[in-house]
Amino acid sequence: MTVRGTAVSLRAASAALRAPRAAQAATELATPALVCGALLVTLAFRFPQLYSSNGIASAVTASAPLILTVLAMTPIAIASPGGIDLSVGPFVAFLNVGIVHWLVSNGYGNPVAVFAFAIGVGIGFQLIQGLLIGALRLQPVIVTLAGYLVFSGLNLVVLPQPGGTVPGWLERWGAATSANTPELYLLLGCGVAWWLFSRTTFARNVRLVGGNDKAAWVSGLSPTLVRVGAHVVGGVFIGLAGITLTALLQSADPTQGASQTLMAVTALIVGGVSLAGGRGRALGAVIGAVDIFLIGYVIGTLDLGSSESFVSNLIYGAVLIGALFLGSLTGSVAGIRGRLTRATGSPATSAVLE
Amino acid sequence: MIAVAPQLRRSAQANRPLLVSLNVLLLTVILGIVTIPGFWSLLTLRSLLLLASFLGIASIGQTVCALLGGLDLSIPFVIGAADLGTLWLLNHHVPQWQALLLVAAVCVASGALGGLISYRLRGQSVVVTLGVGYVLLGVAQLVISHNSQTGESVFGTVPKWLVSATSVSSGFLGNTPPAAVVWLALTALVAFALRRTWLGRGIYALGGNRVAAGRLLVPERRIWILVFALSALTAATTGVLLLGFSAGAVADAGDPYLFTTVAAVVIGGTSLLGGHGGIGYTVVGVCILTVINMLLIGWGFNAPAQQVIIGLLIVPVVAMYGRAPHPRMRV
Repeated sequence: MTVRGTAVSLRAASAALRAPRAAQAATELATPALVCGALLVTLAFRFPQLYSSNGIASAVTASAPLILTVLAMTPIAIASPGGIDLSVGPFVAFLNVGIVHWLVSNGYGNPVAVFAFAIGVGIGFQLIQGLLIGALRLQPVIVTLAGYLVFSGLNLVVLPQPGGTVPGWLERWGAATSANTPELYLLLGCGVAWWLFSRTTFARNVRLVGGNDKAAWVSGLSPTLVRVGAHVVGGVFIGLAGITLTALLQSADPTQGASQTLMAVTALIVGGVSLAGGRGRALGAVIGAVDIFLIGYVIGTLDLGSSESFVSNLIYGAVLIGALFLGSLTGSVAGIRGRLTRATGSPATSAVLE
Repeated sequence: MIAVAPQLRRSAQANRPLLVSLNVLLLTVILGIVTIPGFWSLLTLRSLLLLASFLGIASIGQTVCALLGGLDLSIPFVIGAADLGTLWLLNHHVPQWQALLLVAAVCVASGALGGLISYRLRGQSVVVTLGVGYVLLGVAQLVISHNSQTGESVFGTVPKWLVSATSVSSGFLGNTPPAAVVWLALTALVAFALRRTWLGRGIYALGGNRVAAGRLLVPERRIWILVFALSALTAATTGVLLLGFSAGAVADAGDPYLFTTVAAVVIGGTSLLGGHGGIGYTVVGVCILTVINMLLIGWGFNAPAQQVIIGLLIVPVVAMYGRAPHPRMRV
């Protein structure tokens, strides 16, 4: 009797806990979703071609690299405070250069080789970053900034000029005329994979370590292992981002990096992933990526000519600041005060404060 | 003797990063002398000093931001915007001192804005300043492209004094580049301010422990705003000096300084976690980076390859003295 009573009350308690969590999810997703809706309405007037079957197909092709990049940054951002991966832009460009310049031009353009290369290198690089950040406990900013520099240089060393061709199957990915493309299924598959991942204990541990690594350590988790694991999960998605970027460009471009990083960081923040660590959801990040992508479409309809590149940077920068500012008002960065104190304060002080 | 020894040891411990970085500097210079003919000449030294000045001035702001526990990634964009803006204003016949004041005011205002938002969103200054930087440079490019074909560059006549300020044969103090004097003067000024003024002590206090500093009534918001405004001002100074060096303005003039300012701070030994280090450390870091850059050029690496090598060098250096404590040490 008592046992059953406990079970019932536990169920009630967990339901009671779940309700506010759903409400919290709704508030976190509201802003990016509203922005997304507004952009879709704007584009219905300014760029109606988007709503044709061809338009949707090219939108899927063009947005897939950004969506997958942001999906890769999400577990990394959740796993450590300040865990922003600035290296993503040049690194995805590096995968693009590697696929075209090393694999395809040497006759290894089959899907198995390309997927193995992209995901393998993606995991390998994120494993290194994860070890530096998780095990050596270096600041994520300096590690990923070094990665940014190394890959922007390496891309130009490997391939000084844009060029090269892609294999037939990637050509078909890029030239799709209906939404029924392999890329859409790839994105949906990633969505399902993420949903399954987010239900694992490991995903919960990632949140705990990112939110409070002391509490995680005290409860017997290894922050090092969890952080490295989060990076490896990101590595899978970043590999897929490299493949979809190759399908989009239909060649190799070593100079893509900087603005890609800006777009991905902006999308992540717009999507409500907190750089304070421990908070954020992939759905928000993906909606943020769609927002940024649609903003790019709107900028494209303005017909700016040669000024388009810096006007888009200006707009992305402004959106980034706006989203950060909004986040500070609605409290999606709440908790950072406590964490910063813990991170920088002496043990004695933080013990007293807690 | 017995009383002095522990004190010496403590001072050596506190200055360990400085000892390491000075040794590294010595090593790189020796490497240069041995492997590159003509490295040990007055002309090379003067060019090194000039190149170090650009990086050094911009790194002053980055150091102070790092002492506070933040980072300023807007530096390259402020440099680019100041570079473009100054020449554009001069082309439009704005008197020189007014043009410089206007550029400085705009840059300081954007820096202050970045500082204010970074203060509100503690720990996220990286993305805040990235956003502010892109906006500032975008606005500058929008302005200069208003009546011209391109927003990427401005051509025009750079004032003579600015050219000779960044020349290695200026005839000033035995051909010392005047930019180096500006660098050393600014460094001395900021070093004094960090040691002797309430603002400087407040920066160390906030970087070391925000809560304790708050209890001591250190005005946190004002300091964040002032520090990021200072960083924008030093970056703008570098931008204007680069104008004299390259005799034309380009939007990506600041690009190399995104990473190198952070690297100079870290290599020097200032902790990015805040509260530890100082401006003198960064001077050594700037010298090391400049000499390494010169070595790589001397050994025939092109610009992308230099980037790769410097990017790979930084991680082991940070691993030597920039590691955060394990959670077990903080429980």
